Amino acid sequence: MVPADRLEHPTEARTWKGSIPVWHRYTAGIAGERFLRVLKEQGKIMGARCGACEVTYVPPRMYCERCLKPLPDASWKEVGPRGELVSFTRVYLDLDGEQLKTPRWVGLVRLEGASGVLLHYLQLPEGVPLRPGIQVEAVLKPAGERRGSILDIEHWKVV
Amino acid sequence: MMDQWVYSTTGLHEKDFETGRVLVETWKSKAEYAWDAGIAMGRFLEELRCGRLVGRRCNSCHRVLFPPRMFCEQCFRPTAEWVTLAETGTVMTYSIVHVRWDMVRLNQPQVPAVVAIDGASQGMGILHLLGEVVPESVKMGMRVQAVWKTPEEREGSITDIRYFKPIS
Repeated sequence: MVPADRLEHPTEARTWKGSIPVWHRYTAGIAGERFLRVLKEQGKIMGARCGACEVTYVPPRMYCERCLKPLPDASWKEVGPRGELVSFTRVYLDLDGEQLKTPRWVGLVRLEGASGVLLHYLQLPEGVPLRPGIQVEAVLKPAGERRGSILDIEHWKVV
Repeated sequence: MMDQWVYSTTGLHEKDFETGRVLVETWKSKAEYAWDAGIAMGRFLEELRCGRLVGRRCNSCHRVLFPPRMFCEQCFRPTAEWVTLAETGTVMTYSIVHVRWDMVRLNQPQVPAVVAIDGASQGMGILHLLGEVVPESVKMGMRVQAVWKTPEEREGSITDIRYFKPIS
């Protein structure tokens, strides 16, 4: 190996390689937990509406982010399952930066009744070109397969 | 008065996840890294692979820094030259440990020690392990020498030295 002070190319420099194992555990919180439970058990997507700000949060929050008023149970209401495809793109890499075997499409959707958008997988329609503004619908997994995760929604389907 | 800002919390326990009382997402990441050793450490590691210890001399304060550095932290000047060092040294300080670095209980205690290497300036030491020694007999000031891995086993790492043993 060439001594470091006579290197001619950066790739000849010595590197020390290692890896740090990191385990994550994520809980959804009080509002998030209830959102996921309703999704799992009732197959409904819920939002929480702040009347003062006229904003419906999906998933629901415990309090309005804008005015900080609590959002009680009574402020919860169902949104979707249909909505508008606001934007979409094709994804080629996974979360660790590795190539996906099959690229996937994802879509940003504003569900009917929601103020914000939700990101999820998008099913490519047959013969219909994708463009912002088209109507989509959330397709859920069958009740028996749902486990209280955002992935209980399978994907958006163009209607 | 401050109580109005104190919200009750929800404590969670392992059982809550086991029984499914609380939904949880679990996943693992592999944070892989490649750390650029730089000129001084790069040479230091290469010399270790060759079975040698090197330091760097500062021509302003005349200290020999070990491990080597490309600048002197006292003079704020670049260091001037490589210095080949001995593989013997002196124990500056040590510990007798019964728990490994990753919290695993050890059956046989280990003796990590700071060893000042001959040829470097006073007190220029590195942390390593002592071996072939009875822990209770270790003393500060003890003279030790490096025990190396075979050339085939060495990879350019501080672990190319297995440990330091007392000079008999």
